Amino acid sequence: MLEFERVFFGYEGQSATLKDLSFAIGEGEFVALLGENGAGKSTLCRLANGLLKPSAGRVLALGMDTKQVKTSLLARDIGFLFQNPDRQICQNSVRAEILFGLEIALADEAARRARCEEMLELFSLSGERDPFGMSRGERQQIALASVLARAPSLLILDEPTTGLDYRECMAIMGIVAQLHQKGTTILMISHDMEIVADFAGRALVLSEGGLIGDGPVRRIMRDEALLGRASLLPAQIPALGARLGGPYAEAFSVEELLSLAVGKKGEKERAEA
Amino acid sequence: MIQLKNLGFRYSGAERLALDGIDLTVEDGAFLGLIGSSGAGKSTLCYALSGIVPHHYRGDFYGEARIEGMDSAEHRPEELSRVLGCVFQDIDGQMVASVVEDEILFGLENFGVPRDEIEGRVTQALAAAGISELRGRLISELSGGQRQKVAIAAITALRPKIIVLDEPTGELDPRSSRRVFETLKELNEKHGVTIIVVEQKIMLLCEFAKRLAVMEEGRLILEGEVPAVLQSAGRLEAAGVNIPRVTTLARALREEGLYGGKLPLNLDEGEAMMREVLRPC
Amino acid sequence: MKGILDYVPGSSFLHRLNPLVKLLLAFVLCAACFVTGNHFIVLGVIALNLALALSAGILGRALRMLRSLLKLSALLFLVQIFFVREGATLLALPLGICITDLGLSFSLLFVLRLLAAALPLGLMLSVTQTSDIPNVLVRRLGLPYQYAFVLGTAIRFIPLFAQEMAGIMEAQTARGVEFDTGNFFKKVALLLPLCAPLLVSSVRRIEGGAISAELRGFYLRGRKSGYKDYPFALRDLCALLGGACALALAVLF
Repeated sequence: MLEFERVFFGYEGQSATLKDLSFAIGEGEFVALLGENGAGKSTLCRLANGLLKPSAGRVLALGMDTKQVKTSLLARDIGFLFQNPDRQICQNSVRAEILFGLEIALADEAARRARCEEMLELFSLSGERDPFGMSRGERQQIALASVLARAPSLLILDEPTTGLDYRECMAIMGIVAQLHQKGTTILMISHDMEIVADFAGRALVLSEGGLIGDGPVRRIMRDEALLGRASLLPAQIPALGARLGGPYAEAFSVEELLSLAVGKKGEKERAEA
Repeated sequence: MIQLKNLGFRYSGAERLALDGIDLTVEDGAFLGLIGSSGAGKSTLCYALSGIVPHHYRGDFYGEARIEGMDSAEHRPEELSRVLGCVFQDIDGQMVASVVEDEILFGLENFGVPRDEIEGRVTQALAAAGISELRGRLISELSGGQRQKVAIAAITALRPKIIVLDEPTGELDPRSSRRVFETLKELNEKHGVTIIVVEQKIMLLCEFAKRLAVMEEGRLILEGEVPAVLQSAGRLEAAGVNIPRVTTLARALREEGLYGGKLPLNLDEGEAMMREVLRPC
Repeated sequence: MKGILDYVPGSSFLHRLNPLVKLLLAFVLCAACFVTGNHFIVLGVIALNLALALSAGILGRALRMLRSLLKLSALLFLVQIFFVREGATLLALPLGICITDLGLSFSLLFVLRLLAAALPLGLMLSVTQTSDIPNVLVRRLGLPYQYAFVLGTAIRFIPLFAQEMAGIMEAQTARGVEFDTGNFFKKVALLLPLCAPLLVSSVRRIEGGAISAELRGFYLRGRKSGYKDYPFALRDLCALLGGACALALAVLF
């Protein structure tokens, strides 16, 4: 789906932002990209859809070398949601905005209209509203709806929940999770370790432009030393599990820890009996 | 001290009230976290504290806001800003200079601080924000966290008694976010500055704030010491506010009849709770 | 990322000039290009600019500025050269289009002037802290602070706008709008609908800036509030004399 082969990248007149990155993301994976501000996460995502081209090495997106294809062409199959929805939204109604995103992907107008209504329904958005007066969370949903309308097979999310409140955040992540279940591959930058723990399956950890960790979220989340190097803290429940040790060290969610505690209670009661 | 009495505001042209009957007293030296879903009125409350509402944004204003005894309806924002400083969400938008030093100088020059006093104020404000070494740097070359601290230093140089911050860590990573809060803590504890901070990251508030105020649809629905407010976890969730996972776990344990103690707020308290729950008989 | 007009810190001769002198020098050099009809004088101004850039350690940036103006210049050159019908025909093309010697000379001068006049302004912005410009206008010329502040803000917003526009174009490319096309006209046509997001973000920004300035006592400021003094030095006199010489040469030839 997405392959980085010994990729180097540097902005003009600056030292290398990314150094010797190699990894591959398979179809249907949900990958979280972790690291502190300035570690190169956004740069990596821009290389993945061809907005930036590697200075050395090769990026293969959907089997195509990004150096040889235009980004606008790759954009038909790679959705990219930016941190700031204002840069994307350029129409004065929600419906027009979604249709604008579809213009490039679908030639048939009736098909575009149908698809647009489908998205409005999925996001429970009203098509007539003017995005200008809506909250950042609502605008982020419109931006996402417009990206998803083209049914991308790879979806890249650059801090999709920044600036959103908890409810808006869950609304966005709920839809992303739904898509992932239907088979869309997802690459997501996030600083929110709770969200990473809840949704992602695999994590890539970047530090100063180098890849310092790559593996299942469950393993990465327990590697406090590794997370520390990227100035991250594990999510609360895995950290709690690790402190408790023993069978609890494997606990990853509230539900898992709860069921272990309930099991322990059962044991106690049997012992008392 | 801040005293809000039945404070209400409706932006002109808007249908519903952005602030609806707010009663709140913030004592000197407080560290208050303000939380709520988007559109709950947090930013408007910040505007009302600084006098931007009702002087800059017009609308229907009722009730009363007293900042250090000054009625915000009678005193203009620049008068209020001698005692209350504001740092807003958009870091870049609020910068007026291109070099750090000039950004700090801006307010000092405006307020006509005597020349021989200016140098000392700049040095001290930069030191208090932990960015002394950035004095001659270009703002555009700084990281988000550093820029946020410049914005804070530009306000602290004016020596306000109260600082209000609207989501200062919005775009920052966990480490930079913590550093901003550590800076605030130092201002609060060492310099006695009253801090009011709007923040979505509940874990940071649980760790740094002393009191929490929760807003929902323009109203203040809860206010009190952090642990006390967190006890109403159900009410918080209904208002669209995230709560720490250990608190969620504690509520689930309570429902199972496994735990009857107080709700934990952080990892340490969570660990203590689990050790109690899992204690062999 | 750094914009092409951002301040470059330094301590060269150019950096240490009084901001007012820098401003004046830039305008004098621009004026010199427009009063003269001599190609060589204009070329001389360009050379002088590059020399100044070299002395301030920003030659690379000056060359980049020239390069980025080249495309526009070429376009203007082509338009001009076919427009002027006077003079002896050098090359006759079908459809009655022809290139004349006067046309060639005029277009060349036009484009050279454009390049020579853009450079000093760009250089001036590169070696002057943006807040110094309004400050010096207030302290030394007595311009009301409010006007000076607006001017300073406008200058500071240029790179911010450029950055925002780049971000918007990036976002639109990522959703399939063909900004990566080589076709200049197509690109311009695609840019038009993007004015909306640029406007929205700019208005938000300016609003935020205005509130923040107001809260830091913007309206309280008087002429005497400035902290920095901006005294004139011998080097300022030298620079002004140099500028006057360039202008005199331009007027004479």
